[in-house]
Amino acid sequence: MSESNEGPDLSTLTKVDRLVHEPARLAVMALLYVVDSADFTFIMNQTGLTWGNLSAHLSKLEEAGYVLVEKSFVGRRPNTNLRLSEAGRAAFREYRVSMKGALDNLPE
Amino acid sequence: MSTQLDLKEIERKAFRATYQDGLWDMYLGLVIAAMGIFIYRPEGGYSPANIVLMLALFSLAYALFWAGKRFITLPRMGQVHFGEMRKRRKTRLALALGVVVLIQVVILSLTVMGWLNPQVATKLNTFLQTRDLMDLAVASIGSLIVGVGMILMAFFNDFPRGYYIAIMMSLAVFLMIWLNQPVYALVIGGLTMLPGLVLLVRFLRKYPLPRNEASYE
Repeated sequence: MSESNEGPDLSTLTKVDRLVHEPARLAVMALLYVVDSADFTFIMNQTGLTWGNLSAHLSKLEEAGYVLVEKSFVGRRPNTNLRLSEAGRAAFREYRVSMKGALDNLPE
Repeated sequence: MSTQLDLKEIERKAFRATYQDGLWDMYLGLVIAAMGIFIYRPEGGYSPANIVLMLALFSLAYALFWAGKRFITLPRMGQVHFGEMRKRRKTRLALALGVVVLIQVVILSLTVMGWLNPQVATKLNTFLQTRDLMDLAVASIGSLIVGVGMILMAFFNDFPRGYYIAIMMSLAVFLMIWLNQPVYALVIGGLTMLPGLVLLVRFLRKYPLPRNEASYE
């Protein structure tokens, strides 16, 4: 039996959720995964993304149903509060497991 | 790409970001100053002015803290709500502080009971022969209780500067009771506020007020 069959299953890497895999979205999802909810400004400050960039990525995550968006006003200022949906949490968990499984067993 | 996505570290970094504004340091510095006024025993006897001044200073400290968070920090840094882990830590803090308060009550009760008992009172008076020694004992116990409470707050709130504040607070209580001079608490309160002020200036530079960027379409 060849050695390659016993190594890490790299096919999982080709199957990871590309929506989560993109670095900026991964940062946003990782942050939202560890908190209950955060507003747009907080995420922008923590991830270092620009307004336009974050806005574009959030639109994609919202379309996919991974992020729940709640718009309101704080005083006179519009405020966007964000949290991961159950689907978003599940997608992030699955992504993490896939990446760990595929990369953690690679030789140094 | 690192396979280790350290979620605990991401959460801790996000949580500690809420302390970057230095408002807690300034608030607790004012609390120390207020405590100094409360503990001070004037020559003419303890007066309601002590309590009124202390309450005024506590109220001012809290009002400034609240206004700072509301009008300076949140618009610049944004708002975040943390998950279950932080809520559990808050519950543990409440329990730990409850134990500290219970110990305080026990110490106070034993002290009162001891002084009311002529035999124990005689022994205590023999042991703590002078007024200075008595003040020293009370100052040590007082600073220990305040220090432990603040250390617990620093630990459960993941607030590293809280340990420094705990030392300053203990020192202020100790000096206030022992030497009975409010100037120590005012100076130590000022020294506690100073790092907060530096952090606030740094925070204002780092996070300018966004124009209309708290929302997106």
